[in-house]
Amino acid sequence: MAESTVHQSRSRDLDKLLLRPGNLVAPTFEPGAQLRDDLQEYAKILVVGAGGLGCELLKDLALSGFKNLEVIDMDRIEVTNLNRQFLFRLEDVGKPKAEVAARRVMERVSGVNIVPHFCRIEDKDIDFYRDFIIIVLGLDSVEARSYINAVACGFLEYDSDDKPIEETVKPMVDGGTEGFKGHARVIIPGSTPCFECTIWLFPPQVKFPLCTLAETPRTAAHCIEYAHLIKWDEVHSGKTFDPDDPEHMKWVYTEAVKRAELFGIQGVTYSLTQGVVKNIIPAIASTNAIVSAACTLETLKLVSGCSKTLSNYLTYNGVEGLHIKVTEFVKDKDCLVCGPGVLLELDTSVTLQKFIDMLEEHPKLLLSKASVRHQATNLYMQAPQVLEEMTRSNLNLPLFELMGKVPRDIVHVTGTTSRDDKKASCLRKLCLVFKGADAVTDQDMAVGA
Amino acid sequence: MIKLFKVKERQRELAENANGKLPIKKQSAGELRLHKDISELNLHKTCTLAFPNGKDDLMNFEVTIRPDEGYYLGGTFVFSFQISSIYPHEAPKVKCKTKVYHPNIDLEGNVCLNILREDWKPVLNINAVIYGLFHLLMEPNHEDPLNQDAAAVLRDNPQLFESNVRRAMIGGYMGQTFFPRCI
Amino acid sequence: MAEPKTKYDRQLRIWGEQGQTALEKASICLLNCGPTGSETLKNLVLGGVGSITVIDGSKVELGDLGNNFMVDESCVGQSKAKCVCTFLQELNDAVKAKFIEEYPEALVDSNPSFFSQFTLVVATQLAEDSMMKLDKICREANVLLIFARSYGLTGFVRNSVKEHAVIESKPDHFLDDLRLNNPWSELKRFAESIDLKVPDPVAHKHTPYVVILVKMAEEWAKAHGGTLPSTRDEKKEFKELLKAGMVAMDEDNYKEAIEASFKVFAPRGISSDLLQIIHDSCSEVDSNSSDFWVMVAALKEFIVNEGGGEAPLEGSIPDMTSSTELYVNLQKIYLAKSEADFLVLQQRVKSILKRIGRDPDSISKAMIKSFCKNARKLKVCRYRLIEDEFSNPAVSELQKYLSDEEYSVAMGFYILLRAVDRFAANYNSFPGQFEGELDEDISRLKTAVVGLLNDLGCNGSTVTEDLINEMCRFGASELHAVAAFIGGIASQEVIKLITKQFVPMVGTFIFNGIDQKSQLLTL
Repeated sequence: MAESTVHQSRSRDLDKLLLRPGNLVAPTFEPGAQLRDDLQEYAKILVVGAGGLGCELLKDLALSGFKNLEVIDMDRIEVTNLNRQFLFRLEDVGKPKAEVAARRVMERVSGVNIVPHFCRIEDKDIDFYRDFIIIVLGLDSVEARSYINAVACGFLEYDSDDKPIEETVKPMVDGGTEGFKGHARVIIPGSTPCFECTIWLFPPQVKFPLCTLAETPRTAAHCIEYAHLIKWDEVHSGKTFDPDDPEHMKWVYTEAVKRAELFGIQGVTYSLTQGVVKNIIPAIASTNAIVSAACTLETLKLVSGCSKTLSNYLTYNGVEGLHIKVTEFVKDKDCLVCGPGVLLELDTSVTLQKFIDMLEEHPKLLLSKASVRHQATNLYMQAPQVLEEMTRSNLNLPLFELMGKVPRDIVHVTGTTSRDDKKASCLRKLCLVFKGADAVTDQDMAVGA
Repeated sequence: MIKLFKVKERQRELAENANGKLPIKKQSAGELRLHKDISELNLHKTCTLAFPNGKDDLMNFEVTIRPDEGYYLGGTFVFSFQISSIYPHEAPKVKCKTKVYHPNIDLEGNVCLNILREDWKPVLNINAVIYGLFHLLMEPNHEDPLNQDAAAVLRDNPQLFESNVRRAMIGGYMGQTFFPRCI
Repeated sequence: MAEPKTKYDRQLRIWGEQGQTALEKASICLLNCGPTGSETLKNLVLGGVGSITVIDGSKVELGDLGNNFMVDESCVGQSKAKCVCTFLQELNDAVKAKFIEEYPEALVDSNPSFFSQFTLVVATQLAEDSMMKLDKICREANVLLIFARSYGLTGFVRNSVKEHAVIESKPDHFLDDLRLNNPWSELKRFAESIDLKVPDPVAHKHTPYVVILVKMAEEWAKAHGGTLPSTRDEKKEFKELLKAGMVAMDEDNYKEAIEASFKVFAPRGISSDLLQIIHDSCSEVDSNSSDFWVMVAALKEFIVNEGGGEAPLEGSIPDMTSSTELYVNLQKIYLAKSEADFLVLQQRVKSILKRIGRDPDSISKAMIKSFCKNARKLKVCRYRLIEDEFSNPAVSELQKYLSDEEYSVAMGFYILLRAVDRFAANYNSFPGQFEGELDEDISRLKTAVVGLLNDLGCNGSTVTEDLINEMCRFGASELHAVAAFIGGIASQEVIKLITKQFVPMVGTFIFNGIDQKSQLLTL
């Protein structure tokens, strides 16, 4: 009894939102103590990244009614993290971020359980990610976002009307910051654009032409990149440059200074050298706090339905005054990652060759000269010759067997379509279903188990 | 929006048929696009491809160019390609594995080709890069040098440049630098 | 590399040593240390402000453990100010952290002079009447003030200071200062020394676009009675001439010249923003004028005289395709001109200082230099007194916001955030704060809203039922995520005000946690 009073008091403020009916809420919202308890017990959330955003996210989620959190990060704590990654202290430098962050939040907020994973996101089985109700991303790289996006969208299945099947939808909430600017977005695979649908939002990194570096340097950054990209290899034959080795960094700095002097260029400093070589993005506590708070609030709303949700992309800019903008991006219906793909039903006996022939006849596809890829395997490649030869022997095998006898799976095909006498190359996602294959697989499983 | 009761059900189901799923290997959007690029390659007869890690790893491959005209006629030049998981958001990383006397390729194998650096755009593809490399071997230019000595010789004395290229391809020293035979 | 500098590396890249020094000198006072206040200070302590003073008279309750990261179970029953202060201190031992266990409202009434010791006061979760009192106190004492409040899924942040002048506004995208439409003699002479038709293709493709454009503009002016291209056809023709100058397809310098040709077409002289500043009444300086306005007065004289209508030259040039030699020489020419402009302006500053009876050397060289470099980007932010905003409302603005679909929710929250304080003044609790009186509170709040709208002169306008209901549902709750958002914004405004870099927001920021369409209202 005493326990339950404590419990209620603790969520004094949150209860107002979770226990009371509201007017501007999601249709699924079912206010009540049950909702609050379910949130604590069943809503398992993964935070990807335990850096500037990750630390904030763990704190915010722990104080927003969630009790089952996990965090994954491969990095160790560095001194330069301390101006914003508030869960870390000077004596923590060198320790894994995920572990320290999880411990600190659990020490402060009792009742919260946070499981840390000190590893790369690629090190985990895909099934690891299946377990979470929502994945919250606090990352600073396009690669990592793209990877998690592919994993989360990989769970998505569509019904025969190309509608996403609700149980297979794995929402993501993504944040990012740079200086006084940041973004927060909600990705509901199948409904809102996925990361890949809108990858153009992330401008590619500017790269200087090598001949400018070699021949006509003009800026301090040119001198630094010369030392880093050209001179290093010239002098250290075979030894890879390690940006985290201070000796390597100092060498690049010294060489850059020499080059700048030679050409009469100003402005090479050690700090700039680090900035250019490591592509350091300036970061401050306040922007991380703002973006993480927005992400947490959206997470809470997605899981509980206690209010409307962000639709679907928020940008924050505090450089000149304050600008917050919400943009509703639309998804790319043909997206190879989150799109439904074309559904095809096949007999288990169909050979790869027969399948390729079928694509040419299929009214929705009219795809000739198809190359076929399943998961990470090339089943057949039309070109180049070397790959054609390596994959040719598959043509006479049943596709069902080539795909590991799964009853249903995605393949990607590349080929040429002709519409109105115009030929165009295209890459399509197909969802293959093998007729009557369920029984076969179950049997196989039974034997395997 | 998420129906928590469905989550509850699912967790129970998952607990019941643990080990039910086969591990899936994740393929990136970059791999898919690369698959398209590779299967559509339309190579000049002087260019061939090799996949050292087998047919399923398209992200690392080698392009061999054997020019049939120009300064580099008869030589064999190998370029390594490394493709990122966010290709084509990021350009392929290309290095020349064959040591070559060339104004736009340095002795470490760095290649000065605009579409590999400042002018890369996601609409470009592997075919365009291979064509660019082929073009670089057909028509070396002295205006964007990475190997300044070679560029100066090409500019001031094309005949000497031609004989230097031959000498390097046959194998031997050019000044302090040894060039292994590539003919 | 000393440890403290490394620790701040990622922020030094944004506001530099100078900004950091300003932060380290600042003393910040926080009123009320619930989650909104605690989160604001957390971000500032991490960044290394000089000192913090936490003022709160309440004790930690169980409910606080659910929304404030700066308290834990061991704190229950103890002074909240003390507990929060202790946990904040753990984040950065370079910060001096103090606390006073007292209710801010009481302090505002009993000891107004207390606040004059601080650089800046962050006042969180204060009710209207205390806000107005504190505002006057801080305005009088020249102390920077920021109000922040979280309330359910809404909240606000508002700065208050008579005037905040920014030299280093560091805008994201700002047109460079190349003077291609108005080159000075050294630049012209340098351009003349270069032959655009140089036969060497390497030299041709490495002629910087600045030189190409200066020369082509000169040539054009000669053929067109001294004028530059201004009509669409003329601009097109000018670009065609540039294209005709190319000798090969891949000449990046010519491509850059075509892209930058609009800089030749741009009107000469200063922007309307800068014009407004130099015509501000404050630029008529006297012995009480701030350094900023003394420099503006000098700038005004410079523009009319030596500047020939232009501000001092910025002196830096962007990277462009060029040989190293030409680029470095070009850099030197721009730098020399900016140095010369600086010396003139400095002289003018000195004579103005003398004229108004101040030490002619009282404004440092570095300050004047920075002023010159940023002369085109100056910003002046002014804030009304809260009391003035409340008692003398901008009716047309209010009505515009209320009827604009983009703003109506934010405007509704603005009204409601004020209405709940009126409600609380009448009923001693906030609407929906306690269970059981929800329906009654909704109709009472509705009445308060109508009353407020009438007082504001917006009789016909309404706030939607949905929003009023939601406000009652919020019941004055302080949700952690909302508090972290509001606190994040408040701390970022603190940093902008203290470092005097970037531009603080002007107006009242209203947080909309329902669909995240937050707005800045200028009232």
